[in-house]
Amino acid sequence: MERIKSGVPGLDEMLAGGFLAQSANLVEGAPGTGKTTLGMQFIYNGITKFNQPGLILTFEEFPQQYYDDAASYGWDLRALEQANQLRVIMTSPEVSHADLERVDGRIQAMIQEIGAARILVDSLTHFDRLSDDPITRRGLLFSFINSLKRERLTSLLTRESTTLIGGIEGPEEDVAFVVDSYLLLRYVEIESAIRKALLVLKLRGSDHAKDIRQFEITRTGIDVRSKFEGREGIMSGNPRRMADSFVEAFVKRS
Amino acid sequence: MSDPKSDDYQEWNPASKRSAGPDLAARLMDDMDPEVLEFLKTTVNSFIKWDLVIFFSENPNTTDTAVNVARYIGRELGVTESELDELVQAKVLQRDRAGELLVYSLTADLAKRDRVRHFVAVVSDVQFRGKVFYHLIRGMR
Repeated sequence: MERIKSGVPGLDEMLAGGFLAQSANLVEGAPGTGKTTLGMQFIYNGITKFNQPGLILTFEEFPQQYYDDAASYGWDLRALEQANQLRVIMTSPEVSHADLERVDGRIQAMIQEIGAARILVDSLTHFDRLSDDPITRRGLLFSFINSLKRERLTSLLTRESTTLIGGIEGPEEDVAFVVDSYLLLRYVEIESAIRKALLVLKLRGSDHAKDIRQFEITRTGIDVRSKFEGREGIMSGNPRRMADSFVEAFVKRS
Repeated sequence: MSDPKSDDYQEWNPASKRSAGPDLAARLMDDMDPEVLEFLKTTVNSFIKWDLVIFFSENPNTTDTAVNVARYIGRELGVTESELDELVQAKVLQRDRAGELLVYSLTADLAKRDRVRHFVAVVSDVQFRGKVFYHLIRGMR
């Protein structure tokens, strides 16, 4: 099975080598957890390390914001655009959806122009405003994600989580059903400090790491590190030492 | 300041200068790049068009509806739509159909794109921008 490496330290190992080629991959997390950074890193590494041009499709976030944020990690997105290896497209969900349904759409033209193999869609949350009807919304989302696959793109789709800390929600049915992998980014509180955790919930047709890893956003991007040792309840946002829960479960009971 | 008898007006536009030849606007425009001046007179003749040209120049890959473009530049839909259509007539923008939607984007004509880029580069100069603003305000009277 062909793998598309993210190039993010520690992540490809969790994904048993990388994302599946031409797959749709969802990254969900609260604001500030690093979804967009992870997405930009996926695109930047694709171009600079794996010779795979890419697109950034942003809904309502100005491209200038991406140029500035990327520059803080040392990624020159403007230079990549000038070298025809990247296109940053600001549009709306309804227009990109309609555009990708056309045989001669502008997005398709850009994909062909630069030979794009990867795309960051930031974020799927904006599809929510297209319809109040969940069935209609799901249909729009399905056809949008399928059109990315039809263009043979490996996509990284971000989605905002309303939960800031803890309180793990079940994956939203409509999206979870159609994506090939599902990554969760979470804030956790450990000894009065906020840390960040990453979990691969799903990777269709492949094994993947089941443990919860801590990660940092460094000056060079996201760095996935070791798993949280000796703690449980990480995704609740308020983990306990395993020894404490052992005492609670067995000692206090006796 | 528009009352010629007021002190403010006299200070801003003294008689010596007024009698010296062409009006202030003409003098301000004297040292302006003729190509930019022409672009101003024929194409970017309102502040909304100014915002739209800057927006599409900074976001050359954007394709969107009038409703969304109006939101991006913080203007009302009614006025934005007509200004978008005038920029389409001037061939600075193009209007296409994406399914049922009518969408706007920067022209694909490279020569026109260069002209827009040149205009945006020139108007990034603060002093020059002052002159352009004067020109636009004068045109609105």
